[in-house]
Amino acid sequence: MFAILAASTEAAAPASGAAELIHRFGIQPGYVAMQFVSFAILAFVLYRFAIKPTLATMDERNKQIESGLKNAEATAAKLAEATAQAAAQLKAAQVEANKIVDEARKAAKELSERETTAATERANALLKKANEAAELERKKIMAEAQQEIARLVVATTERVLAKKLTDADRASYNEAAARELTNV
Amino acid sequence: MPAVPAKIRAYAKQLLQLSLDNGVVSAERVAGVLEYLEKNPPARLSLVLAAYRKLVAAELAKGEARVEHAGPVAPEALAAIAAALGRRYGRPVAATATPNPALLAGLRVRIGDDVFESSVSGQLSALSAGA
Repeated sequence: MFAILAASTEAAAPASGAAELIHRFGIQPGYVAMQFVSFAILAFVLYRFAIKPTLATMDERNKQIESGLKNAEATAAKLAEATAQAAAQLKAAQVEANKIVDEARKAAKELSERETTAATERANALLKKANEAAELERKKIMAEAQQEIARLVVATTERVLAKKLTDADRASYNEAAARELTNV
Repeated sequence: MPAVPAKIRAYAKQLLQLSLDNGVVSAERVAGVLEYLEKNPPARLSLVLAAYRKLVAAELAKGEARVEHAGPVAPEALAAIAAALGRRYGRPVAATATPNPALLAGLRVRIGDDVFESSVSGQLSALSAGA
């Protein structure tokens, strides 16, 4: 390349301006070439041992970030799904709980009504039994009173008859009794 | 009092049947039965004799009507009662009068285990029981 540049410098007259300019700036083609070589070596070394690993690392990081983002999205989707599922389960559980509570209330109401009815029936039965016992007691007292009155009446009658009946009365009664007994 | 075994009761009833003459207890037949028992004593003789005596007493009671009365009773009335009972039981019945002032007025006739009554006391008792 330097040869070409030198040749071109020598071949073209208008190129003398450029050479002069190069010369004026102190540019040495050999140095420039060395600079190019050094730069190339440096570039190669940098690319090989710094830029390439860095790029690889960055690619790896980018991949990890993308993977993380993807995982985050999947996780977010799963989270949303789990949230929705949990909400659905919570709603179902709430519905079930409400149903159980309603059934419990209904059962408690029925039980209360049954117990109330049973208590009323027991109370009525007790009242009826008490009335019957009172009626029986009243009848018993009445019967005892009647028997006592009858006993007193009979005893009084016997005493009166024992005093008042004459032998003639007794003879007449005995005659009638004999007639009755002969017909047995 | 221990119950008399059925076997002894049946034997005593057989002895009683042997003691009847035309359905009436005969003294001669009873004497014959006793003589037989004396000569041929069965097992448990005392129980047999007790059962036989009880049956004879009951049979004799069927031929005797005890008439309890309060107040005077005509002998004709007693005879009529005895005749009526004789017809009823199919055997001669003798009536014996016994005073009982507790009757107030009327008659009560006992013959065997039967009782017939027509008295003021009985009617009052029935009245009291009915009340």
